[in-house]
Amino acid sequence: MHEMPVTQALLDLALKHADGRRITDVYLEVGRMSAIVPDSVEVFFQYLSEGTLAEGADLHFTIRPVEMTCADCGGEMDLSEWVTENPQVVMQQAFKRGCQCGGRNLRVSGGVSFGLVGIEVEDDGSD
Amino acid sequence: MTTRIPILAEITEANSILAENLRAAFAAEGVLVLNLMASPGAGKTTLLERSIAELNGALKIAVIEGDPHTSIDAERIDAAGVKAVEINTGGGCHLEARMIRAALGELDIAGLDLLVIENVGNLICPTGWDLGEDLKVILVSLTEGDDKPLKYPMGFLTADAAVISKVDLEPYVPADRSTMRENALTINPDLAVFEVSSITGEGMDRFLQWIKQRVADKRSRTS
Repeated sequence: MHEMPVTQALLDLALKHADGRRITDVYLEVGRMSAIVPDSVEVFFQYLSEGTLAEGADLHFTIRPVEMTCADCGGEMDLSEWVTENPQVVMQQAFKRGCQCGGRNLRVSGGVSFGLVGIEVEDDGSD
Repeated sequence: MTTRIPILAEITEANSILAENLRAAFAAEGVLVLNLMASPGAGKTTLLERSIAELNGALKIAVIEGDPHTSIDAERIDAAGVKAVEINTGGGCHLEARMIRAALGELDIAGLDLLVIENVGNLICPTGWDLGEDLKVILVSLTEGDDKPLKYPMGFLTADAAVISKVDLEPYVPADRSTMRENALTINPDLAVFEVSSITGEGMDRFLQWIKQRVADKRSRTS
């Protein structure tokens, strides 16, 4: 449900950058821990983009894994092997296990955001 | 022919820009702003009622109440003796910066020490929307179960403080406060953790002392 206002924000941002041109493709990066469900964004995008220059645009999602940084040694852990698993379970395991250095102060440093990477627009004069 | 336009922006960029404007307006007045987040029924409004009863007089406080429907909470805060502005989201699951900006039309922040924004009851959605606050406070009640920080990590990851509420009910529920505290600190070792009961008053002193200190810090940065 909360994807609706998020998708509206995405649409507004894309249209602003399109600056009056028709949008054919939208490239998005979804953090595995962003609490954003791509399928839900798709549905709301279809509905919200009706009648706008983004109507019919294809959405392309890249899933970004959760990344953690150890506050003790500065080491970075990429939880990409679990990108298909429930990220909360994965994070829970990682937090409990701690860093290879033995440190317990892990910070989540990536995979929590939802970003607009870019858009593809029709050039002036094209159909 | 098409052209690729690189953007690389957070989806909520527009909200963040608005939130920064609000943050500047709050800073100009030296008012400390808390964004209080929790599940429905965790005890946000009760914690506020108790806090207001103990702080009112020492601090000038106002509250922005976010709810999907009704003005029940704002009426409770009004009854506790401070100005409250209700934002009804019409079913929406979180507050956004534009709603705070609109609420400020009904609220004079000049001279305020503390503005508390009580977010919509929800442990997921509010965490992604900056409201221009200084501090995020996440409230979790013992009755919800001590696994909640692990199951809903986003709020704990981004919060400055976690308040474990309803600790007076510890003898009657399977959850225990030390596990809740440990789980919260596992997710975010930098959290200030408070264990309180808004009913008996247990632990309130420490929490309110923390708020007073933050208010004083903010004031000293302004003057």
